[in-house]
Amino acid sequence: MSRFRGLTAKQAMVTVAVVVVLSVAGGLVELVFDWHAKRDQVQAQVTRVIGAIDGSSVEAAFQLNPQLAAKVVEGLLDYEVIRGARLRDNFGDVLAERQRDQGDAAESGLAEFLFGDILSYHRDLLRGEARINVGRLEVQLSPQAVAHDFYDRAAINAGLGLLRALGIVALVVAIFYAMITRPLLRLAQAVSRVDPGHPGAGLVPAFRGHGHDELGDLVGSLNTLLTSSQRGLNERDAAQAELMALTHDLERRVAERTREVEAANEEIRSLNRILKAENVRMGAELDVSRRIQQMVLPTAGELAGIGGLDVATYMEPANEVGGDYYDILHGENGRVRFGIGDVTGHGLESGVVMLMTQSAVRTMVTGDEDSAVKVLDILNRTIFHNIQRMGSDKNLTLALLDYRPGPPVGESDTSVTSHMRISGQHESIIVARHGGRIELIDTMDLGLPLGLVDEIGGFVAEVTVLLRPGDTVILYTDGITEAADDHHRLYGLDRLCAVIASHWQETAEAIKDAIIADVKVHIGAQPLYDDLTLIVFKQVETAVEA
Amino acid sequence: MQTVIEGENYSVEWDPTTRTAALKGILRLNGLVEYAPIAQFLSHAVPAGSMTLDLQGLEFLNSSGIAMLSKFTIEIRNRKTVDLLVLGSKAVGWQGKSLVNLCKLMPTLRMEIV
Repeated sequence: MSRFRGLTAKQAMVTVAVVVVLSVAGGLVELVFDWHAKRDQVQAQVTRVIGAIDGSSVEAAFQLNPQLAAKVVEGLLDYEVIRGARLRDNFGDVLAERQRDQGDAAESGLAEFLFGDILSYHRDLLRGEARINVGRLEVQLSPQAVAHDFYDRAAINAGLGLLRALGIVALVVAIFYAMITRPLLRLAQAVSRVDPGHPGAGLVPAFRGHGHDELGDLVGSLNTLLTSSQRGLNERDAAQAELMALTHDLERRVAERTREVEAANEEIRSLNRILKAENVRMGAELDVSRRIQQMVLPTAGELAGIGGLDVATYMEPANEVGGDYYDILHGENGRVRFGIGDVTGHGLESGVVMLMTQSAVRTMVTGDEDSAVKVLDILNRTIFHNIQRMGSDKNLTLALLDYRPGPPVGESDTSVTSHMRISGQHESIIVARHGGRIELIDTMDLGLPLGLVDEIGGFVAEVTVLLRPGDTVILYTDGITEAADDHHRLYGLDRLCAVIASHWQETAEAIKDAIIADVKVHIGAQPLYDDLTLIVFKQVETAVEA
Repeated sequence: MQTVIEGENYSVEWDPTTRTAALKGILRLNGLVEYAPIAQFLSHAVPAGSMTLDLQGLEFLNSSGIAMLSKFTIEIRNRKTVDLLVLGSKAVGWQGKSLVNLCKLMPTLRMEIV
């Protein structure tokens, strides 16, 4: 507030200063004019007075009449402004002189300064047509009397000027106050009443008569500012409210989600427990399957006890144990029976089928049944009906090899040192001849998978393969040939044969190791999908010589 | 051709107009349990009349899969209402040998290996 009052005061002072300067300047100009007018007036008056008495003066001087001269001089002193008068004759002698008695002898320096140069007058007194100088009239004016009027006028002027100045000042200040200061004060009050929390609640009212001037603009701008500020606050409040709502919603959802997650976690834990139990069960089942498979395989001691044959075997169960089967049973006179097969699928059921196949084969071998057709037919029916009883859908490939030293009956080729009869359907049997030549014995036409149908006798056949020293026989399951690398490329029969061909002269163990190493290289990091089973056998050289 | 079953590396497609079921890709499912959906589809695809089983695009079929096809063939044989044609490919190694069993199981089955 003091600022606005200060503004008014400043404005008033400036106005006063301006008005005073202007008034003083105006007064001075007026004074100068007055001064000039006064001088002219005095000079004219004196000239006129002196002129009026010119006749009397000339006569008094001509006649050298002191009485008349005294009258003339006396008359002049009737004029207030004239202080003294003197009449001289043309000889310079004073005929009459009169000086006004001055009450206050104090000479006014200012009056002398203002009018000093027009205080003395003289007039030569000229007579008749010939204008003969008969004397001289001298008049002295009183500076005080002359200046008196002037002073009065100046005083009045100064007084009026002062009044006028004060009036102007008052008027200007009042107008300024009414038009600027008071609206500003009201504006300030309005601004101070604005609630910072709700700037838009109390807009500044428009000033009457200031609708379209700067004040109106100011009020308009201020109101715009307040409105937009209020709008900003409203938006902020709305955003805050929305944020609060979102936060609450989020909290609620987080809580909800947490509950859901907890429930899910509990479910997972529960499932995990079940899974763990299931894993334990399956682990146990796999373990049982693996043990069943390993349990009935021929032992190293048995293999070593086979005279006349160098035999090497390999069996690696897949992670989920498959149903690979092999057996090697040696009988009298160097006769050795080989069985190799592959039960479909994996796990305990396949293991059980494999186990009963082993038992059944061994039973038939022990029974010494010679007819391959009969053997496989009985095996098939046994397994088929057992599988039916189990409610299973397993079946298996099975090939049987009956190895006997010496040539078969009726064989005249003396280089033949042994032979083998093959029956049953399985993978091709590989014979690596001395020198590395590979022969494949296809078994597709030697039988059918066991357990598929109850009658296979019509499909069973037998082939006899003659063997000479250095020949090697390789039996395997599809775990070898169908071993896949990471691009699902199968190991394949060709590659198997190639490895065998380049190792044919080595021992059965070395050939087996070479094959397994090559298969492992092919598989790489891929998991083992199926059991790997491999049997390699060849005649012992010494046995040949014997 | 519409795909009726799709697995990671294989698919089973069916063409109703030619009544042809095609097995494609690499089938290495574990046991007949996992082959059950395919077996179900094949055995219900054609109640009677001609049916073609196209295996030319089947690059690999493991022993369980061969068993599944064998059982399907036996079923068709026993049903006696379906005239089955099996299409194989010489280019695919496993088929030459394994498909022979199907003919043994069902002598009336027609096999075309191209």
